Amino acid sequence: MDNNGPRILVVDDEQAIRRFLRASLTAHGYSVYDACTGEEALQAASSVRPDLIILDLGLPGIGGVEVARCLREWTQTPIIVLSVREQEPDKIAVLDAGADDYLTKPFGLGELLARMRAALRRATKQGNGPVFAAGDLKVDLAQREVLIRNRRVQLTPTEYDLLKALVGHAGRVLTHRQLVREVWGGMSYEDVVHMLRVNVSNLRRKLEPDPTRPRYIVTEPGVGYRLQTEP
Amino acid sequence: MSLASRAESSSHTSRALERGSGYPEGCPSPLKAQAREQREGGAERNPGRSRGAARSKDRKAERSWVRYPASLALIGLATGASWLLRPILEPANLVMLFLLAVVISALRWGHVAALVAAVSGTVLFDYFYIPPLFSFAISDVKYFVILTGLLTVGLVTSTLAGQVREQADAARRREAYTASLYAFSRSLAVVNRLEQIFEVVAHRISEIFERPVLILLPGDGGLAASFSSPGIVFGEEERTLANWVLNHGQPAGSGTQIMSGADMFYLPLTASLGVVAVLAVKAQHEEESMFPEQRQLLEAFVSQAALATERALLEQKARQTELLQEADKLQKALLNSVSHGLRTPLASIMGTLSSLSEDQAMLDEVTRRELLDNAREEAARLNRLVGNLLDMTRLEAGTLRLKVEHCDLQDVIGAALAQLREASRRRRIAVDLPADLPLVPMDFVLIAQVLVNLLENAIKYAPAHEPIAVQARLAENDLEILVVDRGVGIPQDNLHGIFDKPSHGARATGTEGTGLGLSICKGFVEAHGGRIWAEPRADRGAIFAFTLPRHANTANPRR
Repeated sequence: MDNNGPRILVVDDEQAIRRFLRASLTAHGYSVYDACTGEEALQAASSVRPDLIILDLGLPGIGGVEVARCLREWTQTPIIVLSVREQEPDKIAVLDAGADDYLTKPFGLGELLARMRAALRRATKQGNGPVFAAGDLKVDLAQREVLIRNRRVQLTPTEYDLLKALVGHAGRVLTHRQLVREVWGGMSYEDVVHMLRVNVSNLRRKLEPDPTRPRYIVTEPGVGYRLQTEP
Repeated sequence: MSLASRAESSSHTSRALERGSGYPEGCPSPLKAQAREQREGGAERNPGRSRGAARSKDRKAERSWVRYPASLALIGLATGASWLLRPILEPANLVMLFLLAVVISALRWGHVAALVAAVSGTVLFDYFYIPPLFSFAISDVKYFVILTGLLTVGLVTSTLAGQVREQADAARRREAYTASLYAFSRSLAVVNRLEQIFEVVAHRISEIFERPVLILLPGDGGLAASFSSPGIVFGEEERTLANWVLNHGQPAGSGTQIMSGADMFYLPLTASLGVVAVLAVKAQHEEESMFPEQRQLLEAFVSQAALATERALLEQKARQTELLQEADKLQKALLNSVSHGLRTPLASIMGTLSSLSEDQAMLDEVTRRELLDNAREEAARLNRLVGNLLDMTRLEAGTLRLKVEHCDLQDVIGAALAQLREASRRRRIAVDLPADLPLVPMDFVLIAQVLVNLLENAIKYAPAHEPIAVQARLAENDLEILVVDRGVGIPQDNLHGIFDKPSHGARATGTEGTGLGLSICKGFVEAHGGRIWAEPRADRGAIFAFTLPRHANTANPRR
């Protein structure tokens, strides 16, 4: 059964992290491969053909951001970034470079497993289907309908577009810039970033049971927002 | 005659200069009085003594243009009176009237006027009273003796009278100089800080000498202007010259042997430490260079300034040493509290791990759960402490860059609560915000961190069953955010120091903590242009509050 699970490539220069991930992920039925430099990671990505890559940002040699960019030139394998806290600009850079998600070190295993499941689901099920459901929230993209506990919620067109963008990447973090691009198209980031905040706030008021402790639309401080798939 | 007319014309220039300067009447200007003398005086002046200000009474007399015509008129009067007395008196006796006129001129109008009187008197006497009358010819030797006597006595009288006046003037000038030096040293005595001293020095010198002043202080990056009057250019050439003065301890520049072409005159401020600063005054164009007397006075001023500067420098050094010692103490205290803060959570994590791996059989499910939860909370705390240390480092290094954007406070509070998920699991935190809160410019991550630290502080000091509240109020110019607890409160004498970095005993109240969190809050809030404070709650507990300006222009500009 060892080799039947999804293949995970762990890229981290810290042996303690690799050991911890190998043990925990193997226990959860994944096949784990590892690499400790960017160069090794690029090589392993083409030889192992992993289903998902867990990538540390602070690598010796080629940095994590560069690795993500190189990988994206030829593969759409989901990439989850692990990073330490002080690097919001780096996180944004790597997400903009094509990484799917990121987790801050230190992290809980449960959190990582949830992100991995979401990323793998997105990768296997292209297009996501017309209906998204998480907890009490249901979004039917075909009907243009948003339901909370099966009750219809009225959204403005912008709020709906924003929710649709989040649903389209459910479970992964979208940077402010990515959201602005998807929802406001050609407008400049500086001009509309405050509209993004207002619309997120409005969406939460309409969808969240407690907008101060959001369950669905979660803030990633300094980076962006994420739609939780397992609230 | 030529001597008198030269004196006349030069005194006209002097008056013209004085009118132009706008110096207030009655206010002594030693330099002007001296410059005037210099022009009128001639070679016999003693440069060492002749500095000081003439008092206004004499100045008025001297200044008034009437003094030469007046002495001439007096001679005319003597001539007229002699004419009337001619039938009664011999010419030899009439001479006395002329002598009287010369003496009066000398006493009233100075020695130049006396000279005018003596010469004109001799000429007139010859013309009117020496036979042959109404001619300048002299018929008899005895009349030649009378004329020579008149001229000689006139000249001697005028010189003597002039000397008396000059000595009196010199005494007054000396008095004025002493007074101005005294006033200068007195005004230096009451200031302590270097900037104040330089201001007094520059102000006084530029006032008395009527020239722009530049004061240069040697620092790490070479000489730097500590004070500069408007209109002074401190360029490469000036820097070179000032450096030379600093290194050689000798004056240079305009009016000296070194670089006399420069347009400033540089003086070293020399005290027992050596040259402590360099002072430069602008040379004025109408004078070729400074008079030696002026320079002596300037040097006297400068040596006073040097003493004051040295005193301030020594004081500054003492203060710095004290600060350094204080910082050292603080550093040690910080290190102590940080290592304590790091080890405490590590101890419980390691304890949990070892009991889980070694005593597994003895632990029931509930205990195991409890141990694990505790270890997880402690690990989260350790993580926050490391974050705080990084934040502190950024603050101290001055590399903090605000990324100010319009943020939704509710979102910020939500992010803070999410970060505190582990620590706040068993707490009730009520968030109470006005319904129509607008977006307010701030750095999302930093303000979330401020809230995390304030909430963590409240969690630490309030009993577990007491609720904690986060509130916000919108004022005209700022947003006020409050974290309210019902904990042990804050001692009154610690209300201000609570945001300082940890020092001995400041927060050693038994509950762990480094006190780092609150000082980071202060740093972050102040970087936004806001205020942070703590106050005790009326009944029990504490309120920690901070403000953020509602308009971005009061906060630091975005990078």
